[in-house]
This record gives sequence, C-alpha cells and structure tokens, in this order.
Amino acid sequence: MEKIELLSPAGDLERLKVTLLYGADAVYIGGQQYSLRANANNFSLDEIREGCHFAHQLGKKVHLTLNIVFHNEDMDGVEEYIQEVVDAGIDAFIVSDPFIISYIKKNYPQVQVHLSTQNSTSNYEAIHFFEEEGVDRVVLARELSKKQIEEIIKHTSCDIETFIHGAMCTCFSGRCALSNYVTNRDANRGGCAQVCRFSFENEGKKDFTMATKDMNMAEYIKDLMDIGVRSLKVEGRMRSLYYLAVVIGTYRSIIDDLYDGSMTKEKMKVYQERLDRVANRETSTHFFMKEADYTDQYYSGRGEASNQDYLGQVISYQDGLLKFYERNYFEVGDTVELFTPKGDHIEFVVEELFDEDMNQEEVARHPDNVYYIQLLTDIDIPEYSMLKVVRRKNESIQS
Amino acid sequence: MKLLVEASSKNQEFSSDGLIVALEGYSVESVCYYTMDEIREIRKQYSGEIFVKVNRNFLNEDLDSLREVLKELDSLSIDGVFFYDLAVLQIHKELSLSLPLVWNQTHMVNNYRTCDYYYEKGVTYALLGKEITLEEIKEIIEKSKITCMVEVISRPSVAFSKRKLVSNYYSDLGEVGEKELLVKEKVTGDYYHVLEDSYGTCFFLDTITNGTSVMKDLYDCHCPYIIMREYGIPSFQELVSDTKDYIEGGCKDEDYLLKYKKLGDSTNFFFKKTIYKVK
Repeated sequence: MEKIELLSPAGDLERLKVTLLYGADAVYIGGQQYSLRANANNFSLDEIREGCHFAHQLGKKVHLTLNIVFHNEDMDGVEEYIQEVVDAGIDAFIVSDPFIISYIKKNYPQVQVHLSTQNSTSNYEAIHFFEEEGVDRVVLARELSKKQIEEIIKHTSCDIETFIHGAMCTCFSGRCALSNYVTNRDANRGGCAQVCRFSFENEGKKDFTMATKDMNMAEYIKDLMDIGVRSLKVEGRMRSLYYLAVVIGTYRSIIDDLYDGSMTKEKMKVYQERLDRVANRETSTHFFMKEADYTDQYYSGRGEASNQDYLGQVISYQDGLLKFYERNYFEVGDTVELFTPKGDHIEFVVEELFDEDMNQEEVARHPDNVYYIQLLTDIDIPEYSMLKVVRRKNESIQS
Repeated sequence: MKLLVEASSKNQEFSSDGLIVALEGYSVESVCYYTMDEIREIRKQYSGEIFVKVNRNFLNEDLDSLREVLKELDSLSIDGVFFYDLAVLQIHKELSLSLPLVWNQTHMVNNYRTCDYYYEKGVTYALLGKEITLEEIKEIIEKSKITCMVEVISRPSVAFSKRKLVSNYYSDLGEVGEKELLVKEKVTGDYYHVLEDSYGTCFFLDTITNGTSVMKDLYDCHCPYIIMREYGIPSFQELVSDTKDYIEGGCKDEDYLLKYKKLGDSTNFFFKKTIYKVK
C-alpha cells in the first residue's frame, strides 16, 4: 500500500528545502502570479526550477497553486505561464477554475491537476464531475466529517486530500467576499484580509466575532489513513521556518510511527505537546467528529500568542562546536533542545556560548548574528537543525 | 433586456419578466423559501419565466433527494435552476435533463472563458459575480456565448458559512436569541445582516447596491437579464414596475434615474476595482 503523503506549504525556497528535509513528501508553492497568497514571497521561475530540482533529487514533489478565481484580465498570459512552470518541472497544479483545469489536462496530460479547496467540494457527485474532466486529486472542503470523507472515498476513484493542520476559514472557501467588501481586497485572487478575524459591533451587546480556532488533526491521522485519504495537507505558506520545521517534523514522526506500529499514547502526548507549543492559537478538529460549534471559535476572546521558543537555526556542527544564527534571546544556563530534520532531539544545558569571533558571551541577544555553542554528541547534526528553549535557567523544572 | 426579481415575501405580483424563487431545503442566501408544492402552484399560475435557486453546497446524504428535486423541476418546465455545487451539473448530465442551468457560484463568475467552459458543458446562463466592474461585465457579455445575468439592485449577499455563527455567538453569551443580527464593521462603519438557518449563516451587506445608473450601459451592450432582489428595498413593486417601463423605453428616461437616486449612491463594484497585492 502506498504510504500517505505529507504535504507541506512553502512560502519561499528556504521553506521548501527545510520542509522537505523535515519529512514532507511534497510541498505546495505559489508562483508570482495566480496564487491565493498574493502577499507571500512566492517563487520566481528560477526558484521554481531550483525547488523542483531539489525536491526531485530527494524523490519528492512540488505542487504549484494556480488557484485564484480568474477575472478576464488574469487570463492574459496564463497559457504562457503554465508552459513556463511545466518546463520548470512542477509535478502538479492546484487549480480552482475548471476552464484552467481543462486547458492543462488537454495540453499537459503528464502533469497532475488537483482541485483546490477553493471549490469547497463536499460530495461525490461534484467529484465525479471533476474526475470526468481529468482531475487527479480533489482537496476536500474543510467542513466535512469523517463519515462524509469516507463515503466520498468509497464512491470516487481520484486521490483525496484533506487539511490536517493550520488556520481555517470561517466561511466556505470561495464563498466569501467579506474581504472585498470591507477592505476592497479580493479574497478570491489572493488578497484576503481575514475579515473573519475582525470584531463587529452589536449594539448593546458584546462584539460579534466569528474567528475560528486552528485545525489540529494529530490524534486522527490513523483515522484518515484507514479511510483512504491519499494526502495530508498542512496550511501555512506564510508561516515561519521554525513553525514549519516543528509541524512537519512532528507529523512525519506521527505518520512513520503509525506505519511501523511504534505509536504509543506517550509518544502521541509528546507530539501533541510539540504542536501545541508552536501554535499561536488554540486548536480543534472542527467538523471531523461533530458539527462545529461555538467551542471551535474565539467567542471566549482568547488572543493570539507569539512564540519566543525558537532560539536558533544551525549552520553547521564540527569539532564539538555548533554554529548557528540566533533567532531569540537566550543565555548560558538555559536548557535548550536541538532537533534535526531526521527527527533527532537532544536536550542540554548551554554551558559555553561564543560570538562569531569566538569571544565568550553570557547571553545571545542579537537576532541573525552568528553564535557558537559547545556540544558533544555523535548524532549527525545537519544544516537546518534548530534550537528551541526548554527551560530558562531561572525557571524551576516543575514549571 | 429582461428583468427578473426575487421577492422577500410570498404572494406578491410583479411586472417583471420572471421570478426567482428559492427552493426550501436546497438553497441559501435568500430570505424567502418556497416548497416544491408552492413552486408547482406558481408554475401553474404564473406565465412569466420562473428560475429556481438550488444553490446550496450539498453533502453526500443530500444527493438522492437532489436527484429527485432536479427531475421534478425538469418536469415542471422551469426556465432555469441556479446552482453553486457541481453535483447539480453532474446529476443534470447523468439524468440527461433538459432543465436549463444557471452557473451561480456567487463570487466566482468573473471571466468570459470560464463562462464559455460552462456553456460548452451545457449550462445556459451565468449570473455574473457582484465583485467585478461594469467594464468586466460588458467584456464577458460581449465575448462569451453564455447568456449573462447581472444583479443590479439588492442588498448583496457577501459570504456564507456552514457554521451556526449567530447561535454560537449566543451560546457563548449563555443566551438564546433570534437567528439574525445586524452588526457594524468598525472601520468602514458599514452594517451587515447576519442571518442563520439550518444550513449555515449568510452575510448580507446592509447597503443597497443601486445599479440604476448602469442599466443603460447594460441595455446598450445587450445584457440579456438583470436581477433585482427585494430584501431590504423599500417600495419594491413600484421599483420593479418603473424599471420595467424604463427598460421598455430604451433606458432613456432621466426621471427614472432621478427618482431612484433615493436608493442611495452605492454602486458596489461596478466602478471600483478590487486589489489583491498590497505590497
């Protein structure tokens, strides 16, 4: 049986490389046109080419989003663009417009076409329509239950992809123009201003809000595997490198443990804690096990938290010295964890810290500066390993 | 140019060319829903065109009854069915129905090539998106083979969620309230009606889109259909009657335009282009 795919977002070339190294089987990226994250960095043609080359060397895939809702003017040049990105080596397009789907399938049958969640596809007859159009995969609406997804898979033959982690829309994807009306930013062309996270006055009462918690399906990956989902998608092309490394690395471990039968409750607890630690919002499973209700939203007024756990990104490890870019303040005496793209985790106390010129320091307080930590280990520590805080030196272990 | 209207209450007579009725249980983004029996009765008694909204996002468990509904509408010789979910088009094809279809993916009907795609798939009409400009609308009408419809006067529907957003709001407050709110967006000061039913929650902008000023342009470019929705529009029957006269007079009557300035000066996106790159 083919192993389920772990599909990661990648907002730029570095994220593409990191998420693939941390265990994604494929990444989805946006080009500089026609992508629903118009304000992400997005990929130039050269970067798409380099990203595809990097992924293919690892035996992995690159999916390109072409999922805006096209206006007349957007059609100008799209055919040339499709040709260019196919030549750059992409493996699949993620598309919402059926005209574009038919154009790609007619002209580039070797390239896969995945129907975007922007279509909010929620039943098997709609999928039959797209199967007959040659669509290879459908990214389902995020409003479906386990039973509904299972039923869809039983009645269809194309691959089914579902979201497992990250931010959610309040409304059906594609069926929301709040951003257009409130901010003049076109939600269906990549300009969504996330108006569903605004609060609205309701005269004489508490403000009306409708923001959703994020999705976290870690506990239900086995269910998704069992019912035949083909690909597990993580949201977040604009998320940080650290967030993506932790989330993708954690889901990689969960999937691998489930396949080799080594998953335990204790391990799942550790994985869940890792995911919770990088989350900036509370999470839920939304529609998967029940109809979503007020517990899946932020009516309780909980704010979004920023995370200072991320301490550094490793450049190299040689002769007992770990060289890294600092990301957040830390100091000698702090307990930190080093984690690698291969899934190794090493916890240790920082005993000696040096700046780039090997002057001894007590604190690292200059983000992006290069520092060194002395560390003795036999574990392979490649580039893009990361450091995070476990405990500040003044915190007790119990806390 | 034909005029279709969607009423916000039953048993009204309009001098329009046709009616749009929302089928209970199968449609959303309306304020007045009709049973199949009522639609059957309207079909018997009304000589104008009748279009039926079947524009929900459907689930697997809806599909059997959806098939029966489409067969029934086909047998009633309904003039068109507004659809959002592609299941409608697929079932229409599987059952070889002759029922004309209206592509009505609310905010997504925005270019002529995709309109032509649906035309080639057997879709007769397209209700164009409300978030595109008049120039874009005219280009679609000119270049596409599909028969276009343009919503010109309404309080526009803006978003639809499967979530019970009003009930959820009251649940958090520990209260039970109506399934309807009028809320104010803080920066723009615009109000939105938030209406919940058993299929989810719909947002309507509480500002009237007054498209009287674009009707002549639409008439001149041979727009086949315009649509007006009653919800929140005062003296709607009179407006419909006056609009019908205005169209029949070749959209030349300046008095009509002066009279209906009272609907307000919002022309929605007819003359306002959305942006999407903010850097």
